[in-house]
Amino acid sequence: MKKMNLEKNRMIFYSVPKRRERSFPGRLLILLLCIMSPSLLLAQQKTITGRVINEAGAPVPASVIIKGTTAGTNADANGNFSIQAAVGAKVVISAAEYVAQEFTVGKGNVINATLVRLDKALSEVVVIGYGTQRKKDVTGAVVSVGEKALREVPVANLQSALQGRAAGLEVQKVGTRPGAGAVIRIRGERTINGSNDPLIILDGIPYEGGNINDINPDEVASVDILKDASATAIYGSRGSNGVILITTKKGKAGEAKLSYNGYVGSVSVRTKYSVFNAQEYVAMRDLANNASAPYMPEELTARAKGQSTNWQDLMYKNGYVTDQNLSVSGGSAGGSTYSLGGGYYKETTVLPGQDYSRYSLRATIDTRVGKKFRMGLNTMNTLSFTYGSQFNNPMFPIITLSPLMQPYDSLGNLVLSPTGNTTDRVSQYNPLFLKSNNGQWVDKVRRLRTFNSLYAEYQIIPGLKYRLNVGLDYRLQENDQFRSSDKALAPSYFRPKQGNTASVNNSEGYGYTLENILTYDKTIGKHKFTVTGLYSYQEDHTHNSSISKDSIDEDFIQFYNLGQANASNNVKPIVSGSEVSYALESYMARLNYGFNDKYLLTLTERIDGSSRLAPGNKYKNYPAASFGWNISNEEFMEQFKYLDNLKIRVGVGQTSNQSVNPYASLGLVSPYNYQYSNPSAPGGTIRYNYGPTTIVTGYNLVTLPNPNLDWEYTKTINVGLDFSFLKSRITGAIEWYKSNTNKILYGLALPPTSGVNGSFTTNIGEMENKGLEFTLSTVNVKLNNGFTWSTDLNLFANRNKLLKLDNGFKNDIANQLFIGQPLSAIYDYNKIGVWQISEAAEAAKYGNQPGDIKLEDVNGDGKIDPNNDRKILGSGQAKIQGGLTNRFAYKNFDFSFVMYARFGGLLVSQVHQPFAAYTNLTDGVRSAIKTNYWTPTNPSNDFPIANFTSRARPITTDWTTLGYYDASFIKVRSINLGYTLSSKYVSRMKIQSFRAYVAVQNPFVLYSPYMRNVGGVDPEATGTGNQGVQNPGNLSSRALTINLNTPPTLSVNVGFNVTF
Amino acid sequence: MKKLFSQTIAAVIICSLLLLNSGCQKKLIEKPYTVFTTAYLKTAAGLQSGTVSLYSGMRYIYGPNGGLNTTNSGTDEWSLGDQGASSGLDCGAYNLNSSNGDILTPWNRSFNNINLANGIISFAPDVIMDATAKTRIVAEAHFFRAFYYFLLVQQFGAVPLDLGSGDMAFNQLPFQGFNRLVPDLLKKDYQLIIDDFTYATQNLPTQRPANGGFYAYKSAAYHLLAKAYLFRGYSSVKQATDFKSSWDASKYVIDNQTALGTALLTDYGDIHKEGNDYNAEILYSVERIQADPFDNEVNDVANEFSGKANMSCNWFNSNYQNNVTINGAFPCDRVLQYMRPLRQLCPNPWLYDSAFADKINDSRYNNSFRTVWLATNNNAAASGVSIGDTAYFLAPNKAYGDSLRALGTKKYVIIDPTQFYLVSRPAIQLYPALKKYDDTKRAGINDASGRPYVVAKLSEVYLEAAEAAILDGRPGDALPLILTLRNRAAYRPGLSAAVLAQRQAVMTNKNSGTPNVPVLTPFTAADMTVDFIMTERSRELCGESLRWTDLACRGLLVEYVKNRNRNLVAAPKVQAFHMLRPIPQSQLDKSIITNPASYQNPGY
Repeated sequence: MKKMNLEKNRMIFYSVPKRRERSFPGRLLILLLCIMSPSLLLAQQKTITGRVINEAGAPVPASVIIKGTTAGTNADANGNFSIQAAVGAKVVISAAEYVAQEFTVGKGNVINATLVRLDKALSEVVVIGYGTQRKKDVTGAVVSVGEKALREVPVANLQSALQGRAAGLEVQKVGTRPGAGAVIRIRGERTINGSNDPLIILDGIPYEGGNINDINPDEVASVDILKDASATAIYGSRGSNGVILITTKKGKAGEAKLSYNGYVGSVSVRTKYSVFNAQEYVAMRDLANNASAPYMPEELTARAKGQSTNWQDLMYKNGYVTDQNLSVSGGSAGGSTYSLGGGYYKETTVLPGQDYSRYSLRATIDTRVGKKFRMGLNTMNTLSFTYGSQFNNPMFPIITLSPLMQPYDSLGNLVLSPTGNTTDRVSQYNPLFLKSNNGQWVDKVRRLRTFNSLYAEYQIIPGLKYRLNVGLDYRLQENDQFRSSDKALAPSYFRPKQGNTASVNNSEGYGYTLENILTYDKTIGKHKFTVTGLYSYQEDHTHNSSISKDSIDEDFIQFYNLGQANASNNVKPIVSGSEVSYALESYMARLNYGFNDKYLLTLTERIDGSSRLAPGNKYKNYPAASFGWNISNEEFMEQFKYLDNLKIRVGVGQTSNQSVNPYASLGLVSPYNYQYSNPSAPGGTIRYNYGPTTIVTGYNLVTLPNPNLDWEYTKTINVGLDFSFLKSRITGAIEWYKSNTNKILYGLALPPTSGVNGSFTTNIGEMENKGLEFTLSTVNVKLNNGFTWSTDLNLFANRNKLLKLDNGFKNDIANQLFIGQPLSAIYDYNKIGVWQISEAAEAAKYGNQPGDIKLEDVNGDGKIDPNNDRKILGSGQAKIQGGLTNRFAYKNFDFSFVMYARFGGLLVSQVHQPFAAYTNLTDGVRSAIKTNYWTPTNPSNDFPIANFTSRARPITTDWTTLGYYDASFIKVRSINLGYTLSSKYVSRMKIQSFRAYVAVQNPFVLYSPYMRNVGGVDPEATGTGNQGVQNPGNLSSRALTINLNTPPTLSVNVGFNVTF
Repeated sequence: MKKLFSQTIAAVIICSLLLLNSGCQKKLIEKPYTVFTTAYLKTAAGLQSGTVSLYSGMRYIYGPNGGLNTTNSGTDEWSLGDQGASSGLDCGAYNLNSSNGDILTPWNRSFNNINLANGIISFAPDVIMDATAKTRIVAEAHFFRAFYYFLLVQQFGAVPLDLGSGDMAFNQLPFQGFNRLVPDLLKKDYQLIIDDFTYATQNLPTQRPANGGFYAYKSAAYHLLAKAYLFRGYSSVKQATDFKSSWDASKYVIDNQTALGTALLTDYGDIHKEGNDYNAEILYSVERIQADPFDNEVNDVANEFSGKANMSCNWFNSNYQNNVTINGAFPCDRVLQYMRPLRQLCPNPWLYDSAFADKINDSRYNNSFRTVWLATNNNAAASGVSIGDTAYFLAPNKAYGDSLRALGTKKYVIIDPTQFYLVSRPAIQLYPALKKYDDTKRAGINDASGRPYVVAKLSEVYLEAAEAAILDGRPGDALPLILTLRNRAAYRPGLSAAVLAQRQAVMTNKNSGTPNVPVLTPFTAADMTVDFIMTERSRELCGESLRWTDLACRGLLVEYVKNRNRNLVAAPKVQAFHMLRPIPQSQLDKSIITNPASYQNPGY
């Protein structure tokens, strides 16, 4: 019954739907009414017995209640029950996660029920923002991910749970370190400069300052995703990127239940980087013949002995993951429910020093005072620790250290600096030092978040309700870093030949949301109205202070007192801080109208006033309308017996994007040197000295004020078709949408001669997103012996296109914006191969030699130049993507696997761009990832000759072309096998249910040209924008890029769920 | 009762809504704590802080890679070192196009400071503050506005005076035009530069205190005014009085040294000596603090070559570390006292063979270049070169090198000028390494320098005055000024009076013999030619970020690079149009202009 939490129940009181088969809310309404109303005494009682099972044949400990009374019982662990009932009485059998069923007591004395899982049912209730709605009444584009799907794969965070689960929802992970985040996009991107992240609403309250990692996925009951403007317009200025509504678990009436859910697992490297072994390294190095980097004496020795060091094998270890959750929930028949829970999650990874742990505590209380007043509290508290996320990870030395160098000397001690060249010996120590940390470095992020919501609800007259929601959010994060000084007996990996350094960054955020909601429900004959009115106010503040300091008196002080340090001029503390506040005031009205369950209309209007816009320009309007037609409810459709449901939805609406940063309209005179992204970096502040002791700070004009600054507006039209056939064995939806975003916000880069360094944030241009989404759930096989096979499939494609730029540009190369192209377009030279020996004469015309990269001479003028020979090579946009989940059940076993695929698009592998990651320079100085490079005897077209000096053309620009590959992939995300203990053992053990499972996460990649052709470790991005040492200049901050990072891991988890 | 309750509830809701509403309207007004608007520039503190930015902005131009390359590389003095050669597309090789990165340094870093100076000059009259302080700030704003414009004009020719809000007006509009196609723009540029420097000479403080910091003082303004007149005199917008005006401005500095707080040092070697950065000969330096990247505005002091990092100590270095072995061993590690061997700029043979033909009597060669490296490890101990022993010696000429080799007793490597690195002769990556910028107090051996960067010194004023006199038809007035500098150049500490006198005699006369066996005849006014001055400038000022504009603004670039210089990289490629840099492509790309080519300098 987790889908049926109290918040949704609330709806029931003002919405009395005309019930069709399995109308769950309706049943529950009656159920609740029954509980509250005085018992009715009925004559002619008789004893009814029966058994409740689910589709898989497993017993369900359901609740069995006589409708209209308070009389009821629970089925036992074997599903058996016995109850007194009168002939003609109605018996309602319900259970969590199942659709309730109703039976009329007739002549017989036995009622056997087979309950159907809730998330397959059409009568499912979805959260739509400021309320709930029966799924069949929904007119906007809404997709739900139920608890079962969320639970299917044991995951670290919610975003992983959602990956591949819903059409139109694209989840790309960024980073492979523990606790790494993800990029979530609903139907593509609509903004260039602003955030494309969807709005997250947790139990009705905006979840700002977003770190979705703060949410323990075990606490989530369901996730509903609002995709089109007709659905998101009620969130007005924050709706255009879509809205993710997260509903947490609530208690439910009944005896207290104790549940345990946990797993442990082992994490190991799934795919190692392919690197040169000693023999291949020698071949590369001899070919490169770099005079300034001769072999080191140790290397010559190793070469003579035939030794080869595999640095990856030495560094990687197995990690572990554990997730433990305990919860108690229950409630009284009077309508008060509670749920309490705690969780612990920890994940370590394959590199030393990196781990993530999260402690969470939550409680919900819902209570009723009298008949008309209800109130409740939901509190979620998370404390998390992330280690090893801030320092450079040691992947660079692991990949580029010479395989001819030995890690240990003859005494078994670590070689200090096992590099194959003299230059790196200055600054690079043996990464194996990282395996033992005697207080030599600390890299810790501690984050506390407490997110609380409180509501009070009062029924003024029947059908009219007032609700007050109060959201209180507090966030605290401390980032600590320490790196010890380098000493002869205790070499410091992070500080070769330097003293110690430490930093502390504290940031605090707090905010509150007040929502006043009036809801009026009225049914007049076949006309059903729901009117919702809202006034809300939200405020949020963040503030941070950071200090970094070196020359701390003793290493053991670490970061705990930066005052115990040498205070001389040269090693002053670096201090910085920042403050951001914003407020949003909103009014909203919504009408839901239904006629005869056939024709459905939703009209919405929202007005948002935001502090981010200039005075006089603050309040904006967001209208939306949508219409639904339940075709299957028409009389003429009754002949199609196999058809359960068919509905067409059409919606239009306007939303915007809260993508103007606070203070963006004000203009800015700043003490920061604008070229540094991080003003708290050393050197980030404008300073000057007059003589060696007089030091002053300077201010300069950075950005211009823009009083006309406006939001970006997105108008969306959405057409959807929902269908269900053959008693819900086939259900699904098709959606088509088109959205136009105008007044795109853009940080206009002004020419230097304007006298302003920073960019000018203004509204410019228009873009389009259109797409198709297809969702299908089928029960493929359902045998009498209990074997079932069901499938969930979602496929979606989004096409993004920049339509125009108001400032007159067609191709803004500097900002990678091209009219008629997706925002993720990649514009560069086109590598068409490598110049071969037979082409030497032709190559010479371009100033190249055999073995050099061969670029396409696009305009055929016999030279390669940036103005004429760069072109659009493709974009990061997938042609089509989707997810597939297959589930099998037989007797007590269940088995499932989840796949996720993307087809089309280009990825940017900075690992393969020599000057980005420096991992395939093949210049004879360092080792590298293994590539199929050209030699006179290996006429490869993949990579140029191993040697990069004395070239005529600027190879630094040509070499970016080595990084573009087909981004397609098919991944198996998880394989799960579960066993549910049969009822007789369960009852013998005095528990309600027990399930044990084994799950393999990220077991393998079925298909990836990038992995197959150039030995990439994973086709999914590790970050956005340039992550390399040098920005190749053609990567926007929007691009998803792959850089050298902790390799992908697979984990094997074993866990069990038990309910007492 | 029930009714009353619900009515009360309703009333409370309505009231709270109304209250909230009026309160919220106010809350929607942004009140940032840490973000300043342009109104700040209209306060006393804002004017002061803005002026600091004008000073600090000069760090972009003087010290980082873009500044060093655009002002030194591709001249008769400097060519590409072996690391510089691999980048292929740069100022030194005249492979120059509008996408070049080095030219972005002067272009991108100047106009915002010009705009800021416009703002300070226009806001100051209405700001209530101490009058003396205000006068000084306004004079500084004029000084820097002229200075930034002057540096731009030297590289690019005419540049906009109208940044979007009118000539010399503070621009607060998001202006995407490019006001370069203005009639007589170069003439207006020079007029503004001369007017601003003139204003600065009248209003800046007069005397630079001994060992005081480098605020802008009158002496620097006079020097730059003299140079502005001189360069305008060479330009297409010359005025008949330019050379005379230039002479007047420089002569004022020469004649009023005590009042201005400046003087020539006795020892040329002291001018650029580490630890003596505030000496009286320097008129203006772009300041920095040793071993203090934080206040030097450098984020990553070991890896950042651009921004405001002063790379000068490493940029002219040669490869003492891992190129030439002694019996297979490298005797020198990368060590602090020898700087990071970045090998970007290497002297041309003209500099060490011709300009410094006399390396004995003229102390300036040894005071400018490092030619000896001592072993810093015992790798070559078996060959007799242990820590502290001479490892490499760059002989002053081939004969000297040959004679040393003939002795057969030297364990160190002897390299003579016919072996020094050239792009065409890449095997040995050693050459005389400019040591004027040495900084041994850096925290790490790869770090950028924390020393002030010398921009103007008194000796250059002597050279300017001499040149102006020659061009004004009075070469006789040039002679004593030149002889003063050449006489000083003979000085080395520890020389006996007799030897010093003998060397001074060689330096102040024409020598038709050899440095060791001189045959002297007196210099006359007829010897005072621009060519002579240009060579003297190299001896006095080489590597001081002056040479490229010195040649380009005098129209000498092509002639000197092709004929005098033997710069094998630049000579085959340099053409007349190279005397102006291309307008950066990014400027043209970001501007909404029709026919961008018409905004570009010819030839690019």
